[in-house]
Amino acid sequence: MVLTADFADAQSVASAIRALKARGYGADEIDVFSTAPIQEAQALLERPSRMSLVAITSAVVFCLSAIAFVHYTQHDYRIVTGGMPIFSWWSTGVIFYEFTMFGSLTATFVMFLLESGLLQRGRAIPAPRLEEGRIYLRLICQAGDAVPAAEYLYEAGAAKVDEIEERP
Amino acid sequence: MAIDLDRCTGCEACVAACHAENNLPLSDPAEAEKGRAFHWIRVDRYYEGEFPDIRVKHIPVLCQQCEDAPCEPVCPTYATYHNSEGLNVQIYNRCIGTRYCGNNCPYSVRFFNWFAPEWPQPLELQHNPDVSIRPGGVMEKCTFCIQRIQRAKRDAKADGRAVADGEVQPACVQSCPAEAITFGDLNDPESKVSSLAASGRATRLLEDLGTKPKVFYLQRAK
Amino acid sequence: MDTAVATRADNLRATLWRPLTGASRAYIAALALTFLLGAWGLACWGYQIFRGIGVAGIRRPTMWGFYLVNFVFWIGISHAGTLISAILRLTDAGWRKPVTRIAEAITVFALMIGAMFPIIHLGRPLVFFWLIPYPNSRLLWPNFRSPLLWDLTAIVTYLSGSIIYLYLPMIPDLAELAQHSTGWRERFYRLLSIGWTGSDRQWHALERAMHRMAGMILAVAVSVHTVVAWDFAMAVAPLWHSTIFGPYFVAGAIFSGIAALLVVLSIIRRLLHLEAYVLPVHFDNLGKLLFLMSLLWFYFTVAENLTTWYGNSPAEMNVFGSRVRGPFAPYFWVMICCNFVLPFLLLSSRRMRTIRNVTIAAFTVLIGMWLERYLIILPTLSYPRLAAATGFYEPTWVEISITASTFAAMVMFYLIFCKLFPAIAVWEYKNGSHR
Repeated sequence: MVLTADFADAQSVASAIRALKARGYGADEIDVFSTAPIQEAQALLERPSRMSLVAITSAVVFCLSAIAFVHYTQHDYRIVTGGMPIFSWWSTGVIFYEFTMFGSLTATFVMFLLESGLLQRGRAIPAPRLEEGRIYLRLICQAGDAVPAAEYLYEAGAAKVDEIEERP
Repeated sequence: MAIDLDRCTGCEACVAACHAENNLPLSDPAEAEKGRAFHWIRVDRYYEGEFPDIRVKHIPVLCQQCEDAPCEPVCPTYATYHNSEGLNVQIYNRCIGTRYCGNNCPYSVRFFNWFAPEWPQPLELQHNPDVSIRPGGVMEKCTFCIQRIQRAKRDAKADGRAVADGEVQPACVQSCPAEAITFGDLNDPESKVSSLAASGRATRLLEDLGTKPKVFYLQRAK
Repeated sequence: MDTAVATRADNLRATLWRPLTGASRAYIAALALTFLLGAWGLACWGYQIFRGIGVAGIRRPTMWGFYLVNFVFWIGISHAGTLISAILRLTDAGWRKPVTRIAEAITVFALMIGAMFPIIHLGRPLVFFWLIPYPNSRLLWPNFRSPLLWDLTAIVTYLSGSIIYLYLPMIPDLAELAQHSTGWRERFYRLLSIGWTGSDRQWHALERAMHRMAGMILAVAVSVHTVVAWDFAMAVAPLWHSTIFGPYFVAGAIFSGIAALLVVLSIIRRLLHLEAYVLPVHFDNLGKLLFLMSLLWFYFTVAENLTTWYGNSPAEMNVFGSRVRGPFAPYFWVMICCNFVLPFLLLSSRRMRTIRNVTIAAFTVLIGMWLERYLIILPTLSYPRLAAATGFYEPTWVEISITASTFAAMVMFYLIFCKLFPAIAVWEYKNGSHR
């Protein structure tokens, strides 16, 4: 059962979330939809993120790959360097740096796509159509709990609470 | 290579010979005006003093085949690199024409083919078959007549001997009427060029840059 | 959100979305003109590829000319977005919000144009792909020790980062546009908005990503222009082999980037009727930044020239003299005027920092910075160490055409951009507006 509630301001959304959390709902079941980020909602709903970890790991991986690649290519065809080193850290350091940054940039973007759920195909729980000035709260609850949960939402200040069927 | 500046008369026979030997594109005064003159070896003239005490110094400048060549690390396609004999080699096929090497050469000895070279008829019949014709868009420079070096090495190997000192004569060496230019193996302590390089008259151009050039200029110490 | 904010946001959206539909005659004329100029530039380039790069004015010893000047110039302009978006985002400066997208768009387009020039200036441009490392029959990899390869990796990294950085904050706006559009526009915006629904999960991820990317893109931007500077600094040519070039170029890039942003901003503000959102305080703040960068640029210039002059090394004094007293002197002193004197007069006091004055100062800075790139490259090449090889550069119509066409191309890209996407990020603007 999916409920969507329509609120006018951030404070009422926040109190609604607090009420729902007291009732036992967690961040997995509650989603807040808006045309701009809502600080109060984000403070109350924990969304653990691995973005930094993945970005740093990716940066390290790209850096090591770049070093390995440059090392391999500079030994693959052994140019006579007249005494200069075949593989030189300082001369190619910039390449390693740029690859590292490239790795972290792309990893951050990919993690954004994954963590925002934007790339999910198939069954997507329907989202309310956004109107300017309104904030929407979407709650996934058991069918039996729909009515009490809706009451909480009205109490918090929802203008309207709808039930929508999940798309088969 | 050792060039005796006290013998050089500035006749530029070396320049002409180099043109003939290496299939250089033609340069005319109009081209020179536009900075497109093309001479792998050129004679620079420096004038000192006032009339009537003018002294002219003729300095034939060619690729110095630097040991620590500044042109080599900056080529993105390894078109210029150092071979095991110590020559700074230019591979025309690899060159994509960034011209970084030309900017980095402190002796300004590198020349670029701004267009595909053309020779008015019948000059194309005069081409040396041992030397490739370069396409437009590649950099080139003096190679110490590498084709003559290769031929001498082949002949020596066929005869089962080492290359004798003085056997290899690049075009400029061969044509100099004053015998000002000497060519040989600097690694061989017995060769004429080694003894000239070790003489008290030997200097090198822009030595303080650390490029370790292999062309020694002999001149009277003042 | 209270109704006052909502109304303001509605007005903002109405203002921002009006340019997206329909095209006035002036717009079509401008688009056609810039397209033709850009096409002319491409035709000139085609001619150059066909005939050989000799149709350009470059020669021995000035083997690099306008193309490299333009390259450094455009890469410098591309630092506009980085400064405004990244640094001000990191320092949480609210006043940046209306200008971030304009700045980020400048970055992407300037980078795209700048990245063309290394290919345009090649002697054999059709084999430019030899710079890319891939297994090939030449049995050869590119030389990663060469600063030109550093250029390649840095610019590719920066370009991909900038495109992502421009795209990410656009996603919410694109989703809103998709909701309110029909026909091909709806399909276009919906495709680009990749299913954005505005959930807090998505906002959370977006803000996190933006914050991290701001720091990363800043690090990349600094390295990009440093690497471009090292194209020159790594050479042993007199006056190029200077340790200050890295920081000098980065400061100059940020300087010219702010100037470009100011010019574009004042034009966009006028053409798109954004007077209510891009306020005099923005120009005041950007003007202050421009003034600061002008002082910094001047400091670097003085440091560079003073040490050269005092050191009195013959090869370098030759080049120095040509810049200050010799053939390049007119350009040098015009540059000093454009980059320091005029900005000082126009930007030093709050009363002087009107929108008009700031825009004029920015425009002169753009001219001055182009001259600065010219004066870094050409005098050194004209006066090589062996004086007999001295020679001077004269640009030909090919180079001038291609240079002009890149400016036209920039305008054209921007015209198309403003027709497809709103110039201000509405969600950012609503989220705590100008301070």
